[in-house]
Amino acid sequence: MKKTIIIGSGVAGMQTALCLAERGIEPLIIEKESEPGGKLRGWHVLFPSFTPAEEVLGELRHRVREQGIEVMTNAEAVGLTPQSVTLADGRQLTGDAVVLTSGFTLFDARIKEEYGYGIYDNVFTSADIERMMAEGRVTKADGTAPQRIAFLHCVGSRDEKVCQQHCSRVCCITGVKQAMEMKRLFPGAEVFNFYMDIRMFGPGYEEMYREAQQRCNIHFVRGRISEAAPTLDGRVQIKAEDTLTGRPLRMSVDMLVLLVGMRANDDNASLAASAGLKQAPSGFLEPRDLFLRSTESSTEGIFYAGTVTAPKNIGETLAEASATADAVAKFLEK
Amino acid sequence: MNFYAPFCLPFIVGAAVMFAVVAGKWSVWLWRLPRADKLRIARGLPSAATLRATGEVIGESLLHRRIFRIDPLLGYMHMSLAFGWFLLIAVGWAETIAHLGLRFVPLQGHVFFKYFATGLPHKPFFDLVMDLLLLFVLSGVALAWGKRFCSKALGMRRTTRHVVGDRIALSALWFIFPARLVAESTTCALYGGGGFLTGTLGTWMHDHISVMALMNLETAAWWIYSSALGLFFVAMPFSRYMHIFTEVPLIFLRHYRLQSGEKESSYDRFQVEACSRCGICIDPCQLQSVLGVDDVQSVYFLRDRRYGMLRREVADNCLMCGRCVEKCPVNIDLNTLRLNSRDAMHNVPDERRYDYFRGLDRSQGAGKVGYFAGCMTLLTPRTLTAMERIFTAAGDEVWWADREGGVCCGRPLKLAGETDSARRMMRYNTELFRKHGITTLVTSCPICLKVFREDYDLDGIEVLHHSEYILRLLETRRLTPDRRTTRYTYHDPCELGRGSGIYEAPRTVIEAVGELLEPAATRENAPCCGSSVANTAISDTQQLQIARTVTAELEDTGAEVVVTACPLCKKALGRGTTRPVADLAEIVAESLN
Repeated sequence: MKKTIIIGSGVAGMQTALCLAERGIEPLIIEKESEPGGKLRGWHVLFPSFTPAEEVLGELRHRVREQGIEVMTNAEAVGLTPQSVTLADGRQLTGDAVVLTSGFTLFDARIKEEYGYGIYDNVFTSADIERMMAEGRVTKADGTAPQRIAFLHCVGSRDEKVCQQHCSRVCCITGVKQAMEMKRLFPGAEVFNFYMDIRMFGPGYEEMYREAQQRCNIHFVRGRISEAAPTLDGRVQIKAEDTLTGRPLRMSVDMLVLLVGMRANDDNASLAASAGLKQAPSGFLEPRDLFLRSTESSTEGIFYAGTVTAPKNIGETLAEASATADAVAKFLEK
Repeated sequence: MNFYAPFCLPFIVGAAVMFAVVAGKWSVWLWRLPRADKLRIARGLPSAATLRATGEVIGESLLHRRIFRIDPLLGYMHMSLAFGWFLLIAVGWAETIAHLGLRFVPLQGHVFFKYFATGLPHKPFFDLVMDLLLLFVLSGVALAWGKRFCSKALGMRRTTRHVVGDRIALSALWFIFPARLVAESTTCALYGGGGFLTGTLGTWMHDHISVMALMNLETAAWWIYSSALGLFFVAMPFSRYMHIFTEVPLIFLRHYRLQSGEKESSYDRFQVEACSRCGICIDPCQLQSVLGVDDVQSVYFLRDRRYGMLRREVADNCLMCGRCVEKCPVNIDLNTLRLNSRDAMHNVPDERRYDYFRGLDRSQGAGKVGYFAGCMTLLTPRTLTAMERIFTAAGDEVWWADREGGVCCGRPLKLAGETDSARRMMRYNTELFRKHGITTLVTSCPICLKVFREDYDLDGIEVLHHSEYILRLLETRRLTPDRRTTRYTYHDPCELGRGSGIYEAPRTVIEAVGELLEPAATRENAPCCGSSVANTAISDTQQLQIARTVTAELEDTGAEVVVTACPLCKKALGRGTTRPVADLAEIVAESLN
């Protein structure tokens, strides 16, 4: 029986493993964290349907268990060839093909120091909000309910100043989704979204954006926030420009939420170097061909699925993982 | 004795053209000087400044001491050509006097004395000295030839790419002294005399070449020598060799306290034409060494400005880090010249842009100590909160000038050439500082610091960089941070180090809270972080490329934390490294108990 090593146990890794197992290929998933699940762990609900993330993740986990697929946790890959993966502890795993599903790295909002994340209370990231929602307790730092909330789009995306030129795609709709959830939790609160472009690329997204404005009365202001500062009463004062009216604007908010983008995985460079894989200037790994061989790497026998090559949403990732399994199976038949 | 031969003609014409053009240029430049500068010259002439300037002319125009500091061999090359040639002329005059007594001898009589003096008795002393000097100059010419092929041997990675005029003058210069050697040797071969060089070569020629051939060779050699001189002299005032004469008045004017300013002035011409295009400014330029941009360096900027072909792309593409200024052997005020070129190109004040100044005062607090964060510190609020902790710990009451928003210090606009707009901001801030009655002004931004000290009229208000302020608090024991074992390295911000001469204060402060490890290039030689507000031409990606080379050196020290004392450097370095980058104020605030 042919064996394939899958690096990463997020949705991409699990879906690839399941599809491979169905074709009679033995998958082995390695995961550097102590638990499988990847970035979706701790996420609350998925756009645009508000489906609980656990519904998707739980189902995948359940099927992986049911199929008896081996998931090796606390195992960090530091090098790979088409037939082997070297772990941080020196162990070498061998197989007939390797699939890289190691995903992305979340942009560290502290780098945009002007927004005060990690400096002022009441500045959060979208990941913090999702975790708070999953835990069922969304409050300001002092435990009280917010009256006014501002979301800032494109933190660490489309920003040359922090060397992230690409669009992370999913943050726009996440901002809309989280704004609507906030409005649901705190109906009396004012919610603002500061954006430079709103990119609603998926099915149902545009409708959701319209609903947010018309039904939920969420305000969308075109203009990036330039800086944030604390006020004496623990709120956050933001300065921005409403570029549609051409006026500078300053307001105090109870919570500032930074919609952090997807960065190329920090491990991409070393993994790419070990296997001679092509890395795009953005840091993401480059498939052999964007159209006809988008799940294959530049090295025969190494495959990609999910956000290791570019920002994607959950649906796209799952679909791509199936396609990757297909490509792996064809490769192993040869 | 008749001091004329037909071959003298090229020399006579060349010398006449050169003296006429140089005298014409200087007269116009001096005439166009503003009245205040003319008064400075009049006051300076009878003072000790003239003596000091004379000393510097000898030290620099002849001996080239500053080039010796860059590379001894390069220094020797320049000295042998300049000082050697000068001595050849001076001793040549002495020789004429020794032979003929004090009488009028036309210029070509001095220069071609060997040719005319064949009938005179030999003076072995002068033969020896003149040959020694000729050898001295020839060794410089040989090095100059060598430098063309291997500039590294003379301490230069890159040399200047020359324009056609320069190449003509350069070629002529290279031929002058070999031609002189051949010409004097053939005369010696025919008439005897000469020292160990021309005499020996002459004897050899006498033994191996027929008299007829020697006579033809003698005429030809003197013609070539005179033509090379003539060609060089004609090209000189229009080529880089104009520096030979222009550096002399420049040194005097500098000693009389003439300065270039934010607007172009006639004095600038002396600076621009005193550039020898030696190219020493090319190697320190990071735009060249990191990005491969090789047509914007000071040497090319001055060349383009001198010939009236300066483009915006060249004027704007400069970090103004001052690394080349440190190395310039002529001490040309490169950054100021570039600034006033930018002013000439970009200064288009728009009054309406500043309507928002009215009623803007959002300053807070009351105290004799004022704190001006500046735009960049407002974008790096960790520094701001650290300063707040330090002020509280020291017990200083603080007037916060711009924490809630204010007007820019003006330096970024000044650096961009929008001088008049910058002045508006400076006036506004000056009035603001005066209105609130502060006696000390602290800023954590070296960009603001430089403009406060150099362009603001803040008599009675002491302007301090926060490194100096913190150091003062430490010295008076008003601040007592714990010294820990953290290993820090320090990046010198351009505007603080080379710009304002502050190197010690931040280092002393760091050593008070931990261990300081110096990177390979430091202090006057420290590199620029790459994000200088003075450069509006390079892209973010290029800025990052520069930052990465800087952080690589800082990481090589093995330090755990990179410290700097400029909010812009902090941002720039932060994106080039994964190590923590902190402002000086942050590490002090963290060490307070």
